[in-house]
Amino acid sequence: MQVKIPNIDLKELEEQKKINLKERLEFIKLYAEWIKKKSNKEWSSQQAKIVD
Amino acid sequence: MEIEIEQECIKIDKQLNSLDRFVIDFSEILNKLNIKYVFVSGYVSIIFGRNRSSEDIDLIIEKIDLQKFSALWNELVKKFECIITEDKKNAYEEYLLNNHSIRFSEKGKFVPNMEVKFPKTELDLWSLKNSVKTFLNNNLIFISKIELQIPFKLFLGSDKDFEDAKFLYEIFKEKIDNNLLNEFNEKLKTKQIFTKICR
Repeated sequence: MQVKIPNIDLKELEEQKKINLKERLEFIKLYAEWIKKKSNKEWSSQQAKIVD
Repeated sequence: MEIEIEQECIKIDKQLNSLDRFVIDFSEILNKLNIKYVFVSGYVSIIFGRNRSSEDIDLIIEKIDLQKFSALWNELVKKFECIITEDKKNAYEEYLLNNHSIRFSEKGKFVPNMEVKFPKTELDLWSLKNSVKTFLNNNLIFISKIELQIPFKLFLGSDKDFEDAKFLYEIFKEKIDNNLLNEFNEKLKTKQIFTKICR
């Protein structure tokens, strides 16, 4: 049986990519604001869990 | 967040993660041998809290001769291994002198690895010459200037690079040399993307 591939709207995907990046950048701004308010001990212990 | 920035020197104390420890161990050898170096790219944002890991850490070292490289290699292989070649002369002549990087990881590991290269461009040389003395939990490392890192990340242009640039800008926007930042944005033609991503 042949697998049916859906219609792909590249314009729609490009648009979605832009929206995702915009949302990520907004999140990073919030995260940076959070970091600046917290002690190094607090943010870096959370960072270590992600990195390690 | 507590960061001390005084006279071109940054001091930060934090809970170290595995990448920080890898960088500190590697830098210790470079410091001991008086080899100039600078950490560039993704790790610069990770030091200051960017929440991501990295498979490789980008490191530019000054162009040294084979004798000095040999001393460096001999020190490095006590703790690390070169995952590109086991032959030091080959690493120097076939890779570094031909503008290719070599990679070192902790023994038995593949990642993370330190991607070591000689300066290839004027910008690499500038980064090296204008590196920022940084004390990470009292361990000396040299990192690239933030005013260059932000435009350069924007120049590279992947989503991850944009996110790194945005993060660095948000952390350092009150402390940054805006004239220098603007100059690099001009040179790298990143003014428009800077306004779009960072402002």
